Amino acid sequence: MPTPLTHDDPYEFGSYRPIVRLGSGGMGTVYLARSAGGRTVAVKTMHASLAADPGSRTRFRLEADAARVIGKRHGAEVLDADTQADVPWIATEYVLGPPLDEAVRLAGPLPEASVRALGAALCGALGQLHSSDVVHRDLKPSNILVTAYGPKVIDFGIARAIGDEHLTRIGAAVGTPAFMSPEQAGGEEHTSAGDVFALAGVLVFAVGGHAPFGHGQTADLLYRVRYGDPDLRGVPASLVPILGPCLDKNPFRRPTTAQLAAQLHDGTGEFADHVPAVLLADIARRSAEVWLTTPERLSAPPDQPAETPTAPIARIPRRRMLLAASGLVLGTAAAGAGAWAWNRESGSGSQVSPAVGPSNSQVPKKQLDSIWQLQVADSPWGTVPAVLPLAVGGLVTLVAGQGLGGIDAASGRIAWTSDLMESHWQIATDGEQLVRMVEPEGSQQNAGKPGGFPLDLVSVSLVSGKAAEPFAQFTDFNGGISYNQVLCTADGVVYAVAGRGKYDTYFLASQSWSLFAVDISTGKRLWTKPLPARPDKSERLHFLSARVVGDILVGLQETNAGKVRIVARDTRTGTVRWDRPFDGVVPDRVQRPLATDSRNLYVGSGRLRALRLSDGTQVWDSTTARPGRTYGLPAVKDGVVYAVEKGHGLVAFDSDSGRALWEEQGNGGAKADLNAAPVIGTDYAYSKRSSALWAVDLAYHTPADSYKTTGDRFVAHEKAKVTIALGGHFLAAFPLG
Amino acid sequence: MHATGAANGRAQSGAAASRRIGPYVLITALDTPHTHIPVPERRYIARSEDGEHTVLLSVPLRGTAPHRFMAEASASRYLLGPFAAPAVACAAPGEAAWHARPYQPALPLPTALAVNGGPLSERTVCALGAALAETLAVVHAQGLVFAGVSPAAVLLTADGPRLSCFGAVRTAAPDGTPRSGLPGLEPGSLPPEQAAGGHPRPLGDVYALGATLAYAATGHTTPESEELPSGIRVVVGRCLSRDPANRPQVAELLNTFAADDQEPTGSGSEARSAALLRPGWLPNRVIAAIAHQSAALLATDIQRSAVTPTPAFRQN
Repeated sequence: MPTPLTHDDPYEFGSYRPIVRLGSGGMGTVYLARSAGGRTVAVKTMHASLAADPGSRTRFRLEADAARVIGKRHGAEVLDADTQADVPWIATEYVLGPPLDEAVRLAGPLPEASVRALGAALCGALGQLHSSDVVHRDLKPSNILVTAYGPKVIDFGIARAIGDEHLTRIGAAVGTPAFMSPEQAGGEEHTSAGDVFALAGVLVFAVGGHAPFGHGQTADLLYRVRYGDPDLRGVPASLVPILGPCLDKNPFRRPTTAQLAAQLHDGTGEFADHVPAVLLADIARRSAEVWLTTPERLSAPPDQPAETPTAPIARIPRRRMLLAASGLVLGTAAAGAGAWAWNRESGSGSQVSPAVGPSNSQVPKKQLDSIWQLQVADSPWGTVPAVLPLAVGGLVTLVAGQGLGGIDAASGRIAWTSDLMESHWQIATDGEQLVRMVEPEGSQQNAGKPGGFPLDLVSVSLVSGKAAEPFAQFTDFNGGISYNQVLCTADGVVYAVAGRGKYDTYFLASQSWSLFAVDISTGKRLWTKPLPARPDKSERLHFLSARVVGDILVGLQETNAGKVRIVARDTRTGTVRWDRPFDGVVPDRVQRPLATDSRNLYVGSGRLRALRLSDGTQVWDSTTARPGRTYGLPAVKDGVVYAVEKGHGLVAFDSDSGRALWEEQGNGGAKADLNAAPVIGTDYAYSKRSSALWAVDLAYHTPADSYKTTGDRFVAHEKAKVTIALGGHFLAAFPLG
Repeated sequence: MHATGAANGRAQSGAAASRRIGPYVLITALDTPHTHIPVPERRYIARSEDGEHTVLLSVPLRGTAPHRFMAEASASRYLLGPFAAPAVACAAPGEAAWHARPYQPALPLPTALAVNGGPLSERTVCALGAALAETLAVVHAQGLVFAGVSPAAVLLTADGPRLSCFGAVRTAAPDGTPRSGLPGLEPGSLPPEQAAGGHPRPLGDVYALGATLAYAATGHTTPESEELPSGIRVVVGRCLSRDPANRPQVAELLNTFAADDQEPTGSGSEARSAALLRPGWLPNRVIAAIAHQSAALLATDIQRSAVTPTPAFRQN
C-alpha cells in the first residue's frame, strides 16, 4: 500500500515527479512517479549512505544495465536512470502483478500448467541474460513479478550485493539463501547453470509451496543446499524428472535454459488461461488501484525547514543497517533521517484539543498530522500482514516481515526489534505481558520423537524484546507446525492451539489439533480439548479471534466449510458452554479483537447484535432500533456500544437494551469505513472515512477533528493515550482523547 | 484503434495527441468498431494536459442533439449504487458537449466477448444480471429511469460491471418521436414501447437488461429461446415480453440471479451481487485484457501543447 512522500523526498527524477512511496527498505526507496505526459512508472533509488560506497554505486549501475539487457518482455522496461546522482535512481515501467512469493501465499501452490508456463517464460528471461553474458545470481520468488501475460524478472544488482555481504556473516539473521546454488553457497563461481538451479528451486516453490531445501538457520540451509537432497514433495510426478536434474549439485550436469524450456513448455493457450482466478483477481486489483493513487507529500516538521537538506544518513550505525536488512524494516516517513530515525511533531497542531462546544461545521476543516509515524515494511514490494498491533505496557508491538518490533507508544521511538518472529498469530498479550511460541530450529519432521523438538511457550522481555527460557514445553505437540496459534492470555493463563503429526507448509488432514490452556507460573497444562482436523492444504487458522471474560473463553472459530462459529468455553475446564453460527460474515473481515463487556459479546459486520456471554442467547439486535441498516465491527465502553453504520457514520447503542442512544450529526459519516472498529477515548470516538481518521465528539455527536492517514486498522493504546494506526507500510499514532 | 491493444494505445497515441476535447488530450478510443454493436456515444480514454487525470470521456454521436446529451450527463451525476458510472466533469455552457469520469480499467461488453472468443458463461451472465439488476433497482428507487441499457453500455471492470450511457434513448430522440433505426441505439435492446416514441419507464429498463444479458450469453440481443442457457432462459424470455405488464420486476430479477447467494446478510442492504462477483467471475482472458489496457495506459505519454510554460525555479 502506498504511503505519502516525506518532505525531503526528491521533487524529480529526470523527467519524472514522484507521487507516492511504494516501499522503503534498507537499500533504498521505490516510488510511483509520473512524467509530464502522465506516463506512470516505478522509480527505485539507492540510499545516499550506500551510494557513498563506490562499489555499491557500481552494482546499482550494473543493475540498470542488466535490467536493460533483459528487456521489457521478460523484465521491467528501463525508461531512464541516473546512477551518478547523489541519490542514484532507475525508472522502470510499473509492473502490474505481485511477486511470486506473495502470489503463492495468496493463491496457494500454483497448478502444474501455470508453473510450466511460468518456467518456460523464465527460461526465456534467463536465456536473454545469459546470451549477453549476464548472470542473475539472485533469482528467487520475491524477484519475480507475475503479470497477466507472464513473469517479469526484477532486482539484479542490489539484492546480489546484499547476498554477498550476508555470506560473509554466516550466523547473522539475514535474508534467505534458500534459492542459492550449491556453488554459490560454497563461495565458488555461480555461472548460468547456477541460475538454472535457482530457477528449478523457484518452480518447486511455486508448485509445491515450499523451497526445495526448506528454510531456517542460514548455516543449516547453506549446508543443505550444498549437500542435502532437495525436498520435492508436492511436485507433480511429471515435473520431477524435469526439475530434478536442474537441482544436480554438479553444474555441468544441469540442462541449459533452452533444454529446460523445451521440456516445460506445452505450447497451448495463453499464460492467463493457466493462472488461478484468485491470483488474476489480485493482478486486476493492482491494475485498478494504481489509478486511484493521488500525489501526497507530508509536510516538514516545524523545526526542520524543508529547504534544509537533512541527510545525516551516513551516520546510521552499522548495526541498524544490518537489522534493516534482516526483515523488519522500520523507518520514519517524516524525518527522512534514514531507516531508524524517528520524529515527534510538536506544535504542528496534532495535540491541539478540539474547541469546547458544538462545532458549527460538520466537516473538520484542517486535517491534522500524526504524532509520530514509522515506516514498516519487509521489502520494497511487501506489505504488513492483516494484523493489528498489540498494546502492551508502554509499547506497541508488531510482527512485520520476519521480525517483532517494540515501539514506545508515546514517542514512536523503536525500543527494540528481534528477528525470527514469523507468525503474528503466535503472540498474544494481556496488556502487561507478551507471550509467544518459539519455532524450534532443526527438522520439523522430528517433532514429538526422541531427539525431536517440542512446542515451547515463552514470555518476551518488554525491555529487550528477547525471549526468556520457555515457561512451558510440550513434547507431544509438533512445535514446528506454522499454524500453531496463541489465542490470548489472561489471569496468568495462556490459551493456545497446536497440532500433532507431520509438518507441512499447510494443514494436513492427518494432523490432530488441540486447544489447551497453560498456567504461566507453573508451566502445567490445565486442560486439553480436541479440535476438528483441517483438510489437506488448508491454510485457515482455527481461530479468528478470542478473548477471556471472567470464566468464559469466547472465540470466533472458522469451520472447514469457511463458516464462522462463535464458541464459548469454560476457562477452568475447556468445556463448551455454547456454540452458535455467526452467519453472513467474511472470515477475514472479523479477524479483529472481540468487543465484550462483563455481560455480553457484541458482533457486527451486517446487523449489530449483543449475545449474552453466559448462554449465547441474543440480548438485542440493531434491527429493532434501526431496521435495515448495516454496521461495521463494534466497540464497547462504559455501557455504550459504538459502531459505524453504512452510509451514515457513528451510532451509539445502549449495551443492555440495544436502544439507539445517538447518531453522528451531519453527513460527514457517509463515507465511513466499515472494516475498522471505532476506537473510543474518553471524549471522542475515532473512526476512519476516506483518507482521514475523524474524532467525533461523544458529548455533541459531531465531528471535531480529522487526522490525515491512509491507515486502515486502528487500536487504542490506553496507557500512552494514543490511537495507533496501521497501514500497508506504516505505523502511526494519533491522539486518544 | 481501441483500448484493448496495448501496442495500439502507445504507438498511436502520438497521432491521437493532436486531438483534444475540453481540457483533455485523447489517448485512444474505448470501443472497437469490429464488434458491429452500436454505441450511443463516442468514448475515449483521455488525459488532462498536466498528465495527472486520466478519464473516460464521452461525446455525442454526430447528428444527436448536444443539449439532450448534456442534460442526461448532468442528470447522471446523481446516480448512486456501486455499479453506476456517473459523470463527474461536464462541458461548460457554450462549449462543445462532453462529459467525463475517472478512468477505471474496463472493457465494453462487446469487446469482452471478442476477447473471450465468444459468448460468456452462465456464471458470468448471472453475476452481470445480479449486479445490473441491483443498479437498476437503485436507479428506480431514485425515481429515475436509465433508458440506455445496451451491450455497449456495460463496461466490465474486474470487480463488477459499470453501467454507462445513461439516458441514451432520451438523447437519441425526444418522446413522441419514433426511435427505430436511430444511430447508436442497438435495436434488440430498445424496448418496443420506447421504439415507438413512448416515454421511458422502469419496465423498459427490464426489457433492455434482458436483451443485454441475452447478448452476453449468446452474442446477440434477439436470441431464439433455446440458444439461452437453461438457467436464465425463462427469466430473460419474460424480460423480452413485448407487453411491459408481462415483464418481471427488477427485484424479482435480482432474486433470480442471486438465488445461489448463500450468504444473505439479513439486513438486505449489503450488495447481494458481491458473492457472485468473486474471483473467477470473468474469463481469465478478459481479466488479462483489462490488466493489459491498464498497463498500456500507464505506459502512455500524451503530447502536450507545443508551448508549456515551465517555471524557472520552484519554491518549496
